Amino acid sequence: MIRHTALFTGYELKKSFSNPIWPLFGILQPVLYLVMFAPLLKDMTPGRTTTEALLMFTPAAMMMIAVFGSLFSGFGLIADLRNGSLERYAVSPAWRPAIVLGRVAKDMVVLVCQAIMVLIVAIAMGVRIGAVELVLVLLLMAATGLFASGLSQGLALTVRDENGMSQSLNLFMLPIMLLAGLFVPISFAPEWMKAIAPVNPLYHAVEAGRALFAGQLGDSSIPIAFALFIVLAVLTTIWSMRSLSKIAG
Amino acid sequence: MIIEVHDLKKTFTTRSRKGTQTVEAVRGIDMEVRKGEIFGVLGPNGAGKTTTIRMLATLITPDAGTATVAGHDLLKEPAAVRRKLGYVSQAGGVEDTTSARAQIMMAAKIHAIADPQRATADVLTRFDLTEIADRPGRTLSGGQKRRVAIAIGLVHNPPLLFLDEPTTGLDPQNRANLWDRIAELRESGTSVLLSTHYLDEADALCDRLMIVDHGRVVAEGTPAELKREVSGDVITLRVDEPERAAETLRPLARETRIDDDLLRVYADDGEHTLPALLRALEERGVKLSSIALDRSTLDDVFLAKTGRSLRDTGADA
Repeated sequence: MIRHTALFTGYELKKSFSNPIWPLFGILQPVLYLVMFAPLLKDMTPGRTTTEALLMFTPAAMMMIAVFGSLFSGFGLIADLRNGSLERYAVSPAWRPAIVLGRVAKDMVVLVCQAIMVLIVAIAMGVRIGAVELVLVLLLMAATGLFASGLSQGLALTVRDENGMSQSLNLFMLPIMLLAGLFVPISFAPEWMKAIAPVNPLYHAVEAGRALFAGQLGDSSIPIAFALFIVLAVLTTIWSMRSLSKIAG
Repeated sequence: MIIEVHDLKKTFTTRSRKGTQTVEAVRGIDMEVRKGEIFGVLGPNGAGKTTTIRMLATLITPDAGTATVAGHDLLKEPAAVRRKLGYVSQAGGVEDTTSARAQIMMAAKIHAIADPQRATADVLTRFDLTEIADRPGRTLSGGQKRRVAIAIGLVHNPPLLFLDEPTTGLDPQNRANLWDRIAELRESGTSVLLSTHYLDEADALCDRLMIVDHGRVVAEGTPAELKREVSGDVITLRVDEPERAAETLRPLARETRIDDDLLRVYADDGEHTLPALLRALEERGVKLSSIALDRSTLDDVFLAKTGRSLRDTGADA
């Protein structure tokens, strides 16, 4: 089981990094956000400094990569469904969940690399974060990414069509993004948005990320976000593993 | 016997806005494949060939029936069956971005082969792929891709290989080349289950075959046996009154069959039947516009068993 999962993780990683330009592009986007978007937020922070804006925006940028980077990884599964390689693996002695778990694990590794890049840029721009908080932020990000990756693989195996997949992702993404307060914290939002924001799981991840960057380890948003995303990640991963039986169709 | 199948059945149910539709893809198939032989499943598109192979490959669960594949019960020990199989699907399963070598190596590692590197190099050499081994899958030609697909399926030296329509979409040269490779498998003792809708492919490659139509076996045997069963020769006539001509010729033939304005006459000895046949037609005054004498083919077997020509079934499938 573990051997096969490791085998598939390695295989998928080699695939991703055989052309490192694509993961690099993935990293570039949040870095650009940090460099070009955070300064715009400067005037919304109490002290009107870029560092304060970064403290608010860096955790959001990290959650953004976690969700939106992983959410698209299911497309690879659709390609492999079409070229028949998934079917071939299903007939091999491979432990079947490893086929999906390997991909999810690959997403996690890519995610951590990207997160470290973002953190380096943020620290270079003046953000400071404690070691415990740093580890917790990375863990939270991993759980968020796990949820998104599992969701994406499950969706890919259910929809089985690139067109339908991109449409359904678009449908989800915009409200999730806006209602999470990624760009502008929900505290600036009107009352009705504040009321519905907690329904959005990403909102809790962003809030917890901000609390961690602010050094507020006791903030209640942190355990809420962890509990929520661990449960969600387990659920979507199980769903994606189960969806694998649909390969036969 | 490397494969023994008894009364295998599969019905698919699709739900759509128009309501529930059921398709009986496989309606009770029996088959026996001997160790070391190339066994063909011949039939038109939609006959149930792929469904049968996918069931035997543990991808789909049959609704009914029993099967033993490579010494293991299909339903009770699917994992053991998978270990013994090489499976090459219709799509092939060659990934676009990864090299042939990496894909073959991955398959070797999944099968826990002692020396995956060597097994990969061996199978690459065997299929003339060494030169293109490090190119990504998407840059390969159709014929190369097929060879990579088969190499992936054979890297662990399985006792049994499934090939689902291996030459569909290939040009004649590549098809002939692939036939040679598949025929070579006999020497290594690998048993092959191959599905095809090409008559010439079944005729050229298979030791034995079964003809399937609408999810049922309509005939089974060696290509020669099957053709003999229909009768040695077929005389195809184009006449203005096929019914009257058929009636005239029935005493001379083993069987006659009318297909629009074509009349097919099956006879054991075509050369000697021909003069008598022409005389009979002249005596009755039937106008003949063309005549052809051929050895019967597997298409004639299909026609005799199903009432349709395999060549015609492409249109409605």
